[in-house]
Amino acid sequence: MPIRTLDRSLAASPRPTRLPRSTRPARSAAALLCAAALTMAASACSSSSSSSTSVGGAAAHHLTAYVSGDTNIQKLWEDIVVPAFEKANPGYQVKVVFSAHGTADATTLAKLQAAAKTGRDPGYDLMESSVTLNAATAGLLTKVSAKNVPGLKDVDSALLGPVANSAVPYRGSSVVLAYDATKVKTPPKTYDGLISWIKANPGKFAYNSPASGGSGGSFVETTLDRHLDATTLKTFQDGYDASLESKWDPGFKELKALNKDVYGKGVYPNGNQAVLDLLAKGQIELAPVWSDQYLSGIQNHTLNSGIKFTQISDPTFTGGASYLGILKSSKKQTAALKLADFFLQAEQQDAIVKQLGAYPVIPASELPAATAARFNGVDVGNLRAGYSGQTSSDMNNLWQQKVPGQ
Amino acid sequence: MVLPPLLVVALFVGIPVVSGVLYTLGHFGGLNSVIASIGLHQHPADHWWGTLAAYREVLTSDTFLRSLTVTVEVTLASVVAVFALGLAVALYARMSGGRTARLVTALAVTPLFLPAVIGSYAILTFYAGDGALTTMAHALGWSSAPRLSYTTWGVIVGQVWTNLPFAVLVLTSGLAAVPDALIEAARDAGARPAQVVLRVLLPMTSVPAVITATFTTIAVLGSFTVPYLVGPTAPTMLGVQLANAFQSFNQPQQSLVTAVVVFALASVVGVAYVRSNVRETRRAASVTR
Repeated sequence: MPIRTLDRSLAASPRPTRLPRSTRPARSAAALLCAAALTMAASACSSSSSSSTSVGGAAAHHLTAYVSGDTNIQKLWEDIVVPAFEKANPGYQVKVVFSAHGTADATTLAKLQAAAKTGRDPGYDLMESSVTLNAATAGLLTKVSAKNVPGLKDVDSALLGPVANSAVPYRGSSVVLAYDATKVKTPPKTYDGLISWIKANPGKFAYNSPASGGSGGSFVETTLDRHLDATTLKTFQDGYDASLESKWDPGFKELKALNKDVYGKGVYPNGNQAVLDLLAKGQIELAPVWSDQYLSGIQNHTLNSGIKFTQISDPTFTGGASYLGILKSSKKQTAALKLADFFLQAEQQDAIVKQLGAYPVIPASELPAATAARFNGVDVGNLRAGYSGQTSSDMNNLWQQKVPGQ
Repeated sequence: MVLPPLLVVALFVGIPVVSGVLYTLGHFGGLNSVIASIGLHQHPADHWWGTLAAYREVLTSDTFLRSLTVTVEVTLASVVAVFALGLAVALYARMSGGRTARLVTALAVTPLFLPAVIGSYAILTFYAGDGALTTMAHALGWSSAPRLSYTTWGVIVGQVWTNLPFAVLVLTSGLAAVPDALIEAARDAGARPAQVVLRVLLPMTSVPAVITATFTTIAVLGSFTVPYLVGPTAPTMLGVQLANAFQSFNQPQQSLVTAVVVFALASVVGVAYVRSNVRETRRAASVTR
């Protein structure tokens, strides 16, 4: 959600201490300044005292997690996983600080970065948000492996690449091709087939701008990747090298050539949901969408049952995982790692699949048969990795320069 | 007595502005160290005063120049439209003053009570390919009716929508301040309504007019919500461009450079506002003397 407001962070700031009002205006102004100074001092005191009590004893089992996303993520944390975790591990307490649609993501990331630089308690022990990736590449998160998070032994190690082994993948989703089955009788099966369909049906395909959501981003990435050699692709997925980015040019040229054939002769809606809305309203007939958004759309009836989905091959669209990060500067590493590991247990994975329509990160064979059947025909074990955080930022920028309105 | 507010302004506005400008010049230490540790493609200072490399990169880029052009175009078109509509409504209310006039004024002010996000989304759906307007046009046999959603025209409609209430309020109160006696005197002397407007009402509302024009210009220049939701993917207005650079492209330095440009454009308009205010104060002083 790109629209950010400051209200949230302002609302969270401590209320100024009320001082007796002086009768003379000059004094009251001075009193106000003092009050401001006192509040700042008081909040500084409280933050330092909380960090000093946080180590050792029962408090070591009190975790605070920063979670952002939609209400389904909030429900997953607050109603499902955290109660189960607290029940299975007596004495542990998890406080979830939830930011709807990630409005506080940027400020939180800056706060964590500042806390790490100054060596202070960041106030959080874990984070699950779209900026977890940025925190991982900025070196703010603890390295994880099957040694400290045993559950990772069942998880595809390729999923750890984009986060430099610094965050735990705990649910997956991939981009699939959704289509209006009432109009499209034979949906494309391959990437080339998709492109010829778009050209044969001008205005009936849309993807959102990559900066505004991963489903459009995946279509762009898939196109760009077709022109890359394996080493370059690996660098883009695991690391960052701006000097290789000129290799994207042929792909961008192809995308630019598609401008006249996509929805509205070059309209790229803002956000994954905007594309699903166009599909639901019958404005378009084919679009790349996130698998979990598609599945929950069908569940909530925001998409009618005439909308189906398929996976293309050669290459497939990218997919990826959502990550749970443990802050390096948190003093409760053991407890935080325990919670992260809990997410990888079969019961929790099952709940995640049911609640979010997400893919499990552990093999489907470990889940109940009914759950595994939901992914009939979709290969959930093999998610084609996307670009690293920094590479995606550059891709978004270059796409904006080279594709729309040209 | 003026010191505490000055201190507050210096603390919450002055310091961030100075630190932001220093960052665009490539000074990454102190307050800027956190943001500098995250950003991509940054240009560090190479002189004691900094470097203009970030400015050079942004100001010469194609995307920026297209954004700048479209921003200036949208601003001019919106200001002219807002001003003309606002003046028409305010004059109508002043001259006729009946129930219809009150209704029209109330209608023009309504968007003030609706958040811009909701307004923009409403505009987007209303003018969409399957929106009310194209559906009606289609029913009437015009199958190729234009779609305003995701176009720069749609952005202008949105800007008029969000900025009209302020213009109407300021111009209405400006016109209301003109004494009835003056209008009646002009009518007694045989002036037709058009002459009353041109010779009496308009000259006496020059300050509210300048306020309306300058404030609308500044509001449109720095707008984000309307162009982001209603506008095309490219070219975008500078407000969207700088938000994109900051959030999606992870280029905070380039984003701040764009912000400085918007600030510079707005301050040109700000100077016009301050000068007209000073002139008015002087005139008022000379009248009372």
